[in-house]
Amino acid sequence: MKVTTPNVTTQNMTTIVSAKDLQAYYVTNAYGVARTVKAVDNISIDIQQGEVYGLAGESGCGKSTLLKVLLGDIQPPLTVLGGSVHYQLDGELQDAATMTVEDKRDIRWRQVSYIPQGSMHVLNPVRRIQDTFHDFITTHKQTTKRESKEMTQSYLRDLGLPEKVMRSYPHQLSGGMRQRVTIALATILWPKLIFADEPTTALDVVVQRGVIQLLRDIQHKENSTVVLITHDLGVHANLADRIGVLYAGKLVEEAATKTILKSPQHPYTKYLINSLPSFAGHSAKESIPGRPPALDKPPQGCRFHPRCPLAISKCEHEEPPMLELAPGHRAACHLLTSSSA
Amino acid sequence: MKILIDLIRFSPSFRVGTMILSIVVTLLVMSFFSPYEADERRAVPRNEPPSRNYILGTNSQGQDVFWMLTFGIRNSLIVAGLAVAIGRGIGVILGLVSGYLGGLWDRVLSSVVDSFIVIPRLPLLILIAVMVRGQLTFIGLGIILGLLDWAFPSKRYRAQILSLKERDFTQTAVFSGMRTFKIVTQEHLPFITPLLLADIVSGFLFALGMEVTLAIFGLSDMDTQTIGTMIYWGNYYQALLTNRIWVLAAPIIASVVVVVGFYLISLGLTTYLDPRTRLVRLQAQS
Repeated sequence: MKVTTPNVTTQNMTTIVSAKDLQAYYVTNAYGVARTVKAVDNISIDIQQGEVYGLAGESGCGKSTLLKVLLGDIQPPLTVLGGSVHYQLDGELQDAATMTVEDKRDIRWRQVSYIPQGSMHVLNPVRRIQDTFHDFITTHKQTTKRESKEMTQSYLRDLGLPEKVMRSYPHQLSGGMRQRVTIALATILWPKLIFADEPTTALDVVVQRGVIQLLRDIQHKENSTVVLITHDLGVHANLADRIGVLYAGKLVEEAATKTILKSPQHPYTKYLINSLPSFAGHSAKESIPGRPPALDKPPQGCRFHPRCPLAISKCEHEEPPMLELAPGHRAACHLLTSSSA
Repeated sequence: MKILIDLIRFSPSFRVGTMILSIVVTLLVMSFFSPYEADERRAVPRNEPPSRNYILGTNSQGQDVFWMLTFGIRNSLIVAGLAVAIGRGIGVILGLVSGYLGGLWDRVLSSVVDSFIVIPRLPLLILIAVMVRGQLTFIGLGIILGLLDWAFPSKRYRAQILSLKERDFTQTAVFSGMRTFKIVTQEHLPFITPLLLADIVSGFLFALGMEVTLAIFGLSDMDTQTIGTMIYWGNYYQALLTNRIWVLAAPIIASVVVVVGFYLISLGLTTYLDPRTRLVRLQAQS
């Protein structure tokens, strides 16, 4: 595979992971019925070192699939058809597609870590928390039980988690505590790049706040990079530096958090932002008409056009290209071309 | 080890079962200090009822029933232990292989296991025993019993592994770069161990029952003292008609006691395996 140099942006930061024209489909062929679910279609993303990058979008728009591809955790039926993923770790450029199993095993958890979705079952129910930590630490480091215990202890103390959780079993912890322990487990080896898949889902807002705070603390401490996936724009507003909005397997808009919230350009993003509750108005919130399309047969042209109130005839046939509206602000919509032209 | 201490502390049935089995084990050990050879006849006065000298009486062949019983228990447990070791050994290995490897391995092994499950075991055993009559030693019997009792256990392990493989914590461990061997031994073994313990106990019950059944029909190695052959020879020499009930009572009571002991232990293990009672116990500990 050809190695291309990823874009280095003007902000004097290095790209830690970059995806180019990524295409990942779920290809199934059961009993003669072939089905292709286009979960990630032509997505290019550059994630800078030290930033919190938020991926937003509704259920089934390909968020988790994109994450899997970025992590290099590709198992059938998921198939990568095109594009590339590059990591920039320790000043070394690595192509996820050509990395061997051993290479991947080596960087995972130590450099690239993952906070799984739904912390309920992530921890082994028959092992104490400290044993689970020991297992994960010794996967990458040669430590005795005592050393890993001390390591865990001081790390949990740093994060402000009670030390007694170490001797507990997962079922003895509350949902929020379990989520925090999972986050601590994912970051115990100080990874540079952390992928968090819906870390605040199924928690109430007070606990959410604690979890967000914890993530932010970890990110500040080591200046690590966090890729945050959630459908909750409130969490994004709190945590993310930049937001990418996904719709039906495509990236529709990407900008700094402030820009997205203040002046969204894509009609879909506008709907998303307008649906957020605000202090000022008490008007009824408008929902987007229709439902997200099934990804095995996405609409022609712009995938949002059947639901878009502003759609023009061009939208039905032609896929809108990604446009650079301002430095760091990209959107894919025909209306933006015609208005700027 | 910790599991055993837990069990003795929290499960009354396991405690009683352990006590019964420790008596049985004591008898087994005593067989090595017997004053008579296992098949020595006319060593003591014949047909004595239980008395101070002969705790369980003597039989018409001039053998001391108590010392016969110690040999019987020893040999019966050897048969059962051999059967369990072979049966569970095959079962665990096949279950783990078809669970972890999956795919073609799983399909082939599963169909073999399924065909073994539908074979009726007692008629087959009787057939085998009749065919090799006279040549079948009690060791051979143990091996045959073991070879017939692995299909169901292997299904259980396969099912357990399949479920463990799909759990989130396994997938997280795999993602973190943990080696398969470590995942199996560190993350999955704690789930398998209690199951294996319960399985071993139920295997003992099956093998003891089969041994006694075959011996009563006169189909096993009749020259070796086992619980079953003691009952057979007691009947053969008309112990009931001649009112020498102690000759039969000793092996029958012994077999009931051994079975009840193992059953109580398996009962305790089942309670231990039940996740709900396990939760309560874990909370009581911490």
